[in-house]
Amino acid sequence: MRSAFLSALLGACCIAWSGIQVGQAQTAETVPVTERSIKAAYLCKFAGYVEWPDARIHAAKPLTIGVLESSEMADELIRITAGRLINDRPVQVRRVTGGDSLAGLHVLFVGAHEPERLDELLLPARKLPILTVTESAGALSDGSIINFTIDRERVRFEVSLAAAERSRLKLSSRLLAVAQRVQRTPES
Amino acid sequence: MIPLHASIHRKMLVVMLATAAFALLLTAAAMLYYDLRSFRQLWVTDLTAQADIIGFAATPAIEFEDRQAAADYLESLKGKPSIIAAAIYSANGSQFATYTATGGKAVEFPALPALDGYSVKGNELDLFKRIVSGQEILGTVYIKAQFDIFGRLLNYLGIVGAVMVLSLLASLLIARRMQQKVTQPILEIAGVARTVMDKRDFSSRASKTTEDEIGVLVDAFNGMLAEIEHVIDERKRTQFALEDSESRLLELNAELEQRVEARTAQLAAANKDLEGFSYSVSHDLRAPIRAIGGFAVLLGEDHQTELGEEAKRKISIIRSEAARMGQLIDDLLAFSRLGRKALEPSDLDMAEVANNVYVRLNHADPNRTVDFRLGSMPHAWGDRALFEQVWMNLLSNAIKFSAKKKQPVIEIGGISAENEHVYFVRDNGAGFDSRYQAKLFGVFQRLHREEEFPGTGVGLALVHRIVTRHGGRVWADGKPDEGATFHFSLPKEASDGGV
Repeated sequence: MRSAFLSALLGACCIAWSGIQVGQAQTAETVPVTERSIKAAYLCKFAGYVEWPDARIHAAKPLTIGVLESSEMADELIRITAGRLINDRPVQVRRVTGGDSLAGLHVLFVGAHEPERLDELLLPARKLPILTVTESAGALSDGSIINFTIDRERVRFEVSLAAAERSRLKLSSRLLAVAQRVQRTPES
Repeated sequence: MIPLHASIHRKMLVVMLATAAFALLLTAAAMLYYDLRSFRQLWVTDLTAQADIIGFAATPAIEFEDRQAAADYLESLKGKPSIIAAAIYSANGSQFATYTATGGKAVEFPALPALDGYSVKGNELDLFKRIVSGQEILGTVYIKAQFDIFGRLLNYLGIVGAVMVLSLLASLLIARRMQQKVTQPILEIAGVARTVMDKRDFSSRASKTTEDEIGVLVDAFNGMLAEIEHVIDERKRTQFALEDSESRLLELNAELEQRVEARTAQLAAANKDLEGFSYSVSHDLRAPIRAIGGFAVLLGEDHQTELGEEAKRKISIIRSEAARMGQLIDDLLAFSRLGRKALEPSDLDMAEVANNVYVRLNHADPNRTVDFRLGSMPHAWGDRALFEQVWMNLLSNAIKFSAKKKQPVIEIGGISAENEHVYFVRDNGAGFDSRYQAKLFGVFQRLHREEEFPGTGVGLALVHRIVTRHGGRVWADGKPDEGATFHFSLPKEASDGGV
């Protein structure tokens, strides 16, 4: 009991420490990669818990991650996915700008935007089997499937099952278990 | 193990229960051995699977840095009391989440995770299992478990014991019920056999209820009983018949004896009457015949002058015939008297007796020139007066029948045989045809004509009677014209002298 308490305390300290790091990244320009690198790593790991339609047909093709108007994230992704396989597939990172065709993408990351702009950017991806990931508060109501949040200075995420269903994607319950929030019905 | 005098019922029960118990024990031992042997391996496999499950479930928690979720997964281990502690280490080797069983002692977690595998210390087992996703090592699951092999053994033995007690009880019930089918007929036979032995009652029978070997036994047993009963019946009947016939035989015997006695008495009486009659007849005849003889003499003498020669001759015939008849009557009286006179036996020098008799006979007619040869003779035990008559008759016969020879020879003698003395008188006279031997010793039996050799025919009968009264025998052999030999024997032991 006592040791459990101690380890819990220790865990809390660790979280606090990593939170400090994140905080530093936001304030100091010298280490802006920390939050970004965590999000980039998470972005790669999401692919392991998602099942795309016709996955078997496209199994041999590389997993393509599109990054919309966020070159920092694109750089970071390219850095960490070099020579790495996700779901036994090589990874390809594609930089995308507004109005580009989204065909062939598996994952689309959209950086922080105003809700109207975000809605506009996500619209073309709605009908396609693309896992859309955002980092704006309330982005799930704009049609995003996964949205990064900061919870007590820790990077976490929330999931919209309705959006995933609309895009014909299946999300693993194991992923849902660690999500901060799971939205099961579409928000009006 | 089983007492010898125990009933077959109990013996079978013991056998069945022993078999069941043995089989159960063997099975339990084999199962226990197998279980203990495979227990640890199974256990390790089980724990490894458990670690895999935790690792798999906790993968997103590690990937997305969710310590609370990882701790929640570990918390699910509280359903397994044998796991006393567990931890998840992250890929860089730091503790990510830990778990300690409630109520358990404080556990010191390893600072760094080890490679996949397990190590056993006492009854504690440490197991490490890496969490791998794709080709990436995400972390390690650590499980510390305690196995209570002694408790398991006790538990196991408890179950085995309970099962054994229950199954023995069950088999006792089943055996009790089922063995009756086997033992009941045997017990019945035994009961009948006991009845037969105790009461000697061979009429009881065992009832046949099965068609197996016991049925055969019952049949054989009943068959034997029937046979014994039959034999005993037969024997009883035979015995009755035997007793019956025996008693009848005894009855018959007694009756027969009675009859013989009666007949003997009748015969003796008749004999006595006959002897009395012949004696009185002889006695009474003597007087008239003397009178006839006497008056014939008187007639011849008194009327000598009146009678012619022819008359004189006829008177002399009357005289001689009367004399002969008188002699006949005298002989008969002597013979008859012999049967009534008691013996007066004494030691007899036979040679002396015979010689005296011969001298007396010879004295009557000294002109005769007989070659008389007196041999040696053994002494005998007998009535002197009677043996004088024996010798008298035999010697006078010998003289009479040899008288016509030119040189008559008479030889007498005697020898001692094993049990008797044998005496003989031999002459070279007229002899006899041996065909008539049987008639020699009968009363009034004569082999020669009166004109040839005078005699009454009583002599040899008298000899026969005297010798047989002394317990001896008489016999003779001879040939016509070549002489005859008369033998008589007397027992060495004195005879009491009944006829």
